[in-house]
Amino acid sequence: MIRYILRRLVLMIPVALLVTVGVFALARLSPVDPVLVFAGEERDPAMLEAIRQQLGLDQPLPVQYVAWLSHAVQGDLGRSFQNKQRVTEAIIERLPATFELGLAALLISITFALVIGILSAVKRNSVLDLLSTSITLMGVSFPSFFLGVVLILLFAYVIPGRIFPPGGYVPLSQDAGENLRRLVLPAVTLATGSLALNLRQVRSSLLEVFGHDYMRTARAKGLREGAVIVRHALKNALIPVVTLVGIQVGAIIEGAVITEQIFSWPGVGRLAVQAIPSHDYPVVQGVVLVSALSFMFSTLLVDVLYAWLDPRISYESAAA
Amino acid sequence: MAGTTVPIALGRAESDRLRSAAYFLRRNPRMVIGGLIVLGWLVAAAFAPWVAPYDPIKVNVVDSLQPPNLQHWLGTDDLGRDVLSRVIWGARVSLRVGLVSVSIGLLVGTSLGLAAGYLGGKFDLFIMRGIDALLAFPALILAIGITSALGPRIENAMIAIGIVAIPAYARLTRGQVLAVRAREYIVAARAMGAAPLRIVLRHIFPNIMNALIVQATLSTAFAILAEAALSFLGLGAQPPEPSWGQDINYSQRYLANLKWWMSVGPGIAIFTAVFAFNFLGDALRDALDPRLRRSGG
Repeated sequence: MIRYILRRLVLMIPVALLVTVGVFALARLSPVDPVLVFAGEERDPAMLEAIRQQLGLDQPLPVQYVAWLSHAVQGDLGRSFQNKQRVTEAIIERLPATFELGLAALLISITFALVIGILSAVKRNSVLDLLSTSITLMGVSFPSFFLGVVLILLFAYVIPGRIFPPGGYVPLSQDAGENLRRLVLPAVTLATGSLALNLRQVRSSLLEVFGHDYMRTARAKGLREGAVIVRHALKNALIPVVTLVGIQVGAIIEGAVITEQIFSWPGVGRLAVQAIPSHDYPVVQGVVLVSALSFMFSTLLVDVLYAWLDPRISYESAAA
Repeated sequence: MAGTTVPIALGRAESDRLRSAAYFLRRNPRMVIGGLIVLGWLVAAAFAPWVAPYDPIKVNVVDSLQPPNLQHWLGTDDLGRDVLSRVIWGARVSLRVGLVSVSIGLLVGTSLGLAAGYLGGKFDLFIMRGIDALLAFPALILAIGITSALGPRIENAMIAIGIVAIPAYARLTRGQVLAVRAREYIVAARAMGAAPLRIVLRHIFPNIMNALIVQATLSTAFAILAEAALSFLGLGAQPPEPSWGQDINYSQRYLANLKWWMSVGPGIAIFTAVFAFNFLGDALRDALDPRLRRSGG
């Protein structure tokens, strides 16, 4: 197992390096000169040249890349052009809000996916099953930003009492009740997309497991239906679901970009979106790099977890 | 004798084909529903100047913020622009992005996959590591990164979404090429001295067409959704060009005044278009590529 993990880590290095090249290239693709952005109102050619040298932008691209990478591996992603804050610091400051939103959404998504998924697989072709299939179809095609707008309209403006506010964030440490009140709408919005995928996975893997011989054996030896489903079916059916959820954990930042924007939720995604109009490349670059690396690591963790959960998967072939 | 039997056999084959086509459509309502909605949006986009009742960008302050009525079926926005006309013209943007970005993904991804799968060796290793690197980025984050670097324009959104789509085509094509490369007819073609390009284009490519058609339909759904998301974030179409995602973003400022109609039109448009392409893609997968039936997506 350890050899498998080590091998996967080694295999990840070239891909991670290519990712860093991609992220570095992204910022250099821009037609806007970063020196002008950094200088703000300053237009004195001598000053601009000094800034260019200070930022290392007068060096050849490979040299700039190596310098940027050597800083990045030490956790230094540069400073924001706008407020000169360290990018790493800005990301770390906003991570708790993003994680809170992402985890709340996953919790909602997994809970509903399990309950509805199990019931619809057990009662196949029932009204509930139809409902579950419809949720899946709607969830995959319904744009989260439209859902967010509809929820804001309903719960913040139309339904009397303004049950939930239209947006904003209060830290958990400051006021837990208000934090939760403001969390509900964005978490539900974010949960819908992954709920559709998880629900489909729970249902389809349960249906697949139901067809296996050991299920018939379990029933034949007189086990209650509940025990058959929980002890025999779910245990096996949940393995692919774990994979899917693991990937969703790694993609929390991505999922939150839109939702944070709709609900003015001060997370990492919103940080990147707000940096774009002002050409604040270090910030955008930092967020893209962090989300790509977290996505890569979560994929690795999922693979390891998968190999551990399902002994039929050989480490040798999984690594190939 | 042969002269009489052949036409009869052909005639029977024709009617059998029609009957089986009718049977197939009855058995595949998803394809009919998805196909009809897709067709509807294609017609709306192609004939937008004739179908849309008003000029989508013409400001008419006198008619501003009207709820849906007989003159303006989906109401008007704060500048008095007809929401229905903007939705119809918005279909042009969405479908154009879908078409162009899927073409980029299909062309580049398939070429890379064909070359990597057929040539193998170091070329394959190099290309596939690049594809792995692209896959390491969450799709929307990569699209945001590329669009923000190139500048917020609809053309750049198309390029970004196209690049994001490349890995799916490359992997799909490479996998299929590896599966058919060792088949007898390919070995035979090679033994007969056929050039690699001819083998790839004449013998391998036709085998992967069905899988590519399915993938292209499904990735059009993704492209429409991604364009709407990018435009919602201000990275796609720019005002005053009508765009579904951008119009929903714009409508957000009027939610507190309960001007709900400004977002409902574009929202339902995105939903129906994405839904239709997903529906059609799933149905096509079942019909054209039974091997893929069990896989998700």
